[in-house]
Amino acid sequence: MTTEAKSEKYITTFKQLMEEGRKNGYRLDWLLPRETFGAQINSNAEAGGLLLQDIDRGPFAQIPDWSDNMTGRPRGALVRPNAARVGNYSVRTKADIWLKNASQLYEEAVQRQWSSAVDVPWETMEELPDDIERAECQLATFLTEVEFVAGDVPGKWISETTPDYYEPRMFLISQIMDEARHMDVFRKRAFANGGGLMSQTTNVALSGGAIDSARDFTEMSARLHISGEGLVLSIFRMGERMSYNDAEKAIYRLAASDESRHVAFGVMHLQYLAQTDPQRKEEIHSYLDEIELGLVAGTGGQNPAQRGTPSNAALAILLGGGSDAASIAEGEQIALAVRQRQVKEYVQRVKVAGLGERFENGRANATLAAYVSA
Amino acid sequence: MVQQQSQPNVRRDMDGNPVPELPDLSWMDKTLGWGIKARVEPFGGGMTVDALNVGVYAEVPDHIAFRNRLPRGAYPAPGAGSIGGYYLQDKHEQWADCAGLLYEEGISRRWSTATDVPWETAHDLPGDVELAICQVATELSQHASVETEVVSGWLQNLSPGYHEVKLFLSTATYDAARMFEGYRKRGMLNGGGMMLESPGGMNRTIMETYAGWSQTVLGMWFVRNSLDTTILRYLAVYGPSEADRVLAARLIPDRMRAAAYAADHIRFAISKKPELAIGFQVWLNGVEFSQARDLRDPVLTEALAVIFGGSVAGMDEGMKVVRKMLQDFVKMYLSRCKQANLDRSKSLTSGFQFLLSGMAAPPRPQA
Ligand SMILES: [Fe+2]
Ligand SMILES: [Fe+2]
Repeated sequence: MTTEAKSEKYITTFKQLMEEGRKNGYRLDWLLPRETFGAQINSNAEAGGLLLQDIDRGPFAQIPDWSDNMTGRPRGALVRPNAARVGNYSVRTKADIWLKNASQLYEEAVQRQWSSAVDVPWETMEELPDDIERAECQLATFLTEVEFVAGDVPGKWISETTPDYYEPRMFLISQIMDEARHMDVFRKRAFANGGGLMSQTTNVALSGGAIDSARDFTEMSARLHISGEGLVLSIFRMGERMSYNDAEKAIYRLAASDESRHVAFGVMHLQYLAQTDPQRKEEIHSYLDEIELGLVAGTGGQNPAQRGTPSNAALAILLGGGSDAASIAEGEQIALAVRQRQVKEYVQRVKVAGLGERFENGRANATLAAYVSA
Repeated sequence: MVQQQSQPNVRRDMDGNPVPELPDLSWMDKTLGWGIKARVEPFGGGMTVDALNVGVYAEVPDHIAFRNRLPRGAYPAPGAGSIGGYYLQDKHEQWADCAGLLYEEGISRRWSTATDVPWETAHDLPGDVELAICQVATELSQHASVETEVVSGWLQNLSPGYHEVKLFLSTATYDAARMFEGYRKRGMLNGGGMMLESPGGMNRTIMETYAGWSQTVLGMWFVRNSLDTTILRYLAVYGPSEADRVLAARLIPDRMRAAAYAADHIRFAISKKPELAIGFQVWLNGVEFSQARDLRDPVLTEALAVIFGGSVAGMDEGMKVVRKMLQDFVKMYLSRCKQANLDRSKSLTSGFQFLLSGMAAPPRPQA
């Protein structure tokens, strides 16, 4: 709830105050109320307290379509003409990074922070058969490696984005925090139960750079949030089936809840872009062409369920319950279902983002359809 | 249905049933150390990241030879090359022994500006005090915003081989974000909003640290952080409402974690390469100059004087507190330098000597 801004008489009072202060030798030229002065916000503890999405009004709520903020000032702050131009922001066009609910996603992230030290019941772990433990540790090694991507790359884009678009920046900061925890929790898993780290995945090291290399935020977001994290989210959601104790279940459940926010950010941003800057849709479709190639041919390096990789073999062992041929065969059948689920969820995300026409006009990769109808 | 690849020579069992091909399982032996069991900390500390540094994994090398995301201690994949970035490959460029601990502490002390500040206590303050708080909030919010940009921007340069540092810096970015939004919320609470942007000299100094991460740390967490922490300490006492005092008090431990990393890192860097201290001293001359120049602009100190003095009429009294606060700021800064084995007591630049003398920010003739 907000009350009205106060009237002219306050401004007169401030002028009198300023005059008083000046007689004492102070400058006080900053003591000027903005047009919203006096409009109180009453926070409601039951509705989650004072939330970022509820505070901005008047000039502070005006998000420019193009930002000329080169000094890094908070949005809506008054300009100092002598301030240095420090903000070498390459992201200064609203459609290039905006989404409708970034503040909500940020506040949700704040509320849902968890600790890999104490919120995972590590003590429930008991010794596992050697092949299962090795598979767990291989998957954990893969995941701890790729989580660096999801933290470091958004980090670069935060520093490239004008603070006039602080909401997406804040969300991306919460993502960095989440990814640190993921990197950390999978490393912890590798050491928690008598195992250790295993093998780095070559194609992660080599092609992981695809997300790093993106020259445009939206392209990066499509590769990271929609594709890479989407794939990982589908795996985390299967966590129950590949867990051997409550600690692993907790890890996948907690990580999945973070990951779903990250994916939601990507979908909501793409949706905003598709709606407000439809001229860019063709360009975005061409990124999706590449992404889909990665989905079916495994060129992306971000998919733990990609055939022929150690992480996929590890998944098959975990899902099938052992490293003997029959268990692996069973595990691979389940892993196939995981890949189908990944594709279905990808298709759904692209549709929600407003780019679903590619699945009707024949543009989408044909192999996707085979997965979806399987 | 997805077509399965047809196998030319399908193995069969004795009954003639096809035996599935095993995937390549050679990775199962690829580990540099097996049989590790990290211990959960006693007394409820859980499984900490430092507890993982056991056995062959305990070694934190002085140099990381690769520029990719190989987790420290994992079996390197053949052919894995550089993926770009990560050019800070030396331990002395980033390391602090306490980084892992500070990371876990940052997580365990999580809090929220939405729910942990009694915002309802900060309505209906006198107009001049409210505007002064909004001016201070604007500057603190901007300081924090700059910090989020700077730290997050450096992550891509710091080697994943020192993951404890990266983990800590993630919490540091997040902590700075909380200060940004906490003071934006405070500014907006009664409509005062964001007022005049900060002078910008120090913002520029913190951002223009092409020289290296350690230089960033010196500007951002030795100098700027000492100022902000001192302001927060005074606001925790002189804040005009419970909300103002609580917000400031809750932010102090967040600031102190960054300061602890900073002092530990610089001390470590100097211990590894004593000659670095010479460059750090020269660098700090410039940073002090920049900070002192920003403080000669009266906006922040006047706003603080209104808050500490209780009104525009009380500014003379408030300014006495401001002068004491600026003295405390320089003392805090000097003690951090000392902790880091970087003695500034004899090389303090004149602007900082002036602040330390308690003579700074006198009432000035009308501009
Ligand atoms: Fe993640
Ligand atoms: Fe993620």
